[in-house]
Amino acid sequence: MRPDASKKIAKATPKSGPNPVVVGAIIAVVVMLAVVVAIVIGNNSKSGPSATASGNPVPAGVVGGTGGGIFANATTAKSNAPTMDAYEDFQCPTCGELERTLGPQIRTLANAGQIKLVYHMMSFLDANLGNDSSTRAADAAACAADAGKFLQYHAAVFAGQPTQEGAGYTNAQLTQFAKTAGITGSALTTWQQCATSAQHAQYVTDVETASGKAGVTGTPTIKLNGTDITKTMTTPEALVATVKAATH
Amino acid sequence: MGAEVMGLRSQWDTGRLPDLIGLLARLILGIVLIWAGVSKVTHPAVSAQAVRAYQILPYDFADYVGYALPVLEILIGLLLVAGLLTRWSAAVGGLLMLAFIIGISWVWAHGYSLDCGCFGGGGTIAASQTQYPLEILRDVGLAACAGWLVARPSTSYSLDHRLFG
Repeated sequence: MRPDASKKIAKATPKSGPNPVVVGAIIAVVVMLAVVVAIVIGNNSKSGPSATASGNPVPAGVVGGTGGGIFANATTAKSNAPTMDAYEDFQCPTCGELERTLGPQIRTLANAGQIKLVYHMMSFLDANLGNDSSTRAADAAACAADAGKFLQYHAAVFAGQPTQEGAGYTNAQLTQFAKTAGITGSALTTWQQCATSAQHAQYVTDVETASGKAGVTGTPTIKLNGTDITKTMTTPEALVATVKAATH
Repeated sequence: MGAEVMGLRSQWDTGRLPDLIGLLARLILGIVLIWAGVSKVTHPAVSAQAVRAYQILPYDFADYVGYALPVLEILIGLLLVAGLLTRWSAAVGGLLMLAFIIGISWVWAHGYSLDCGCFGGGGTIAASQTQYPLEILRDVGLAACAGWLVARPSTSYSLDHRLFG
């Protein structure tokens, strides 16, 4: 410490104006209050939609709790097949890219029962992009799961993904995807009611939270028996080999 | 001790040039903090997601940090621009920069590809789009501004001088 001149100056000049300690304490309290208020407001904003919709809030095929993924090929999956957990956001361009390059191979594996394919449709891009298309599309896909057409609907959405990230999906597009997925007649009416009332909105929120807590912070994330293989499954052949190695 | 050293010391304590350098440090750090806070404060969910993407803090705590950070940045930035409680505001600002430098280094070391989310946005991006060296360099520069103000909080045109003499 160097000799402090300020004390001498303080003694020499008469003290005037507000007490710095008091001012400092007041400002510190104001800052802390503001931070607490911000946390409370932020927490309230994420509490999600209130469950006003009628019908089962959790769609058909969900495994692993209320925020779990949709088991898309429960009817075909072999018991010894490894579990592939896919975390995607319908508005994520890289997910669309993955769907184009590997989607057909993933569906082939799923239909052949060689993987247990579980989709976790996330919705965080809504906040980034300033729309609600990820949530609405995820809800619509959950409604398609009720109709037993999740995989088909999932493929239809990504096939119709806008080239411009953030352009989102209109309700008419989401309905068109349902038709493309092969949902017809009374099933289409049920799907429409489900989608219009956002029946699975709470489920979509729960998936987002559960995925985040599972350590998924970006999409796409693909896990095989819990191991992240997103970076290694670059080609359909590599994917098949990875799945084969994990089958026992 | 010679007169020369005494002269330098008093120049450091009361000189006009160091005061002006301090003013510059205050304005740079303060304005960047305000800018960073304002660009995030209206999107708390994005901010929370950006903090979570670093995968350092537990899920819920990361959310709290994401909600609190923009408000803290704005308030500290305002205090710095006004020159009020300069040493303490700069200390908090400097600690924020230190935390950001550690966070970005952590992400870099773990091979994640993130937008730092410093001015809104955030989350995973393509590996080729990451700008870790630039982001760290920027925060080191801002930390240096904070360091100067902690060491020498007297600056030109500050409320501290006006209120407390």
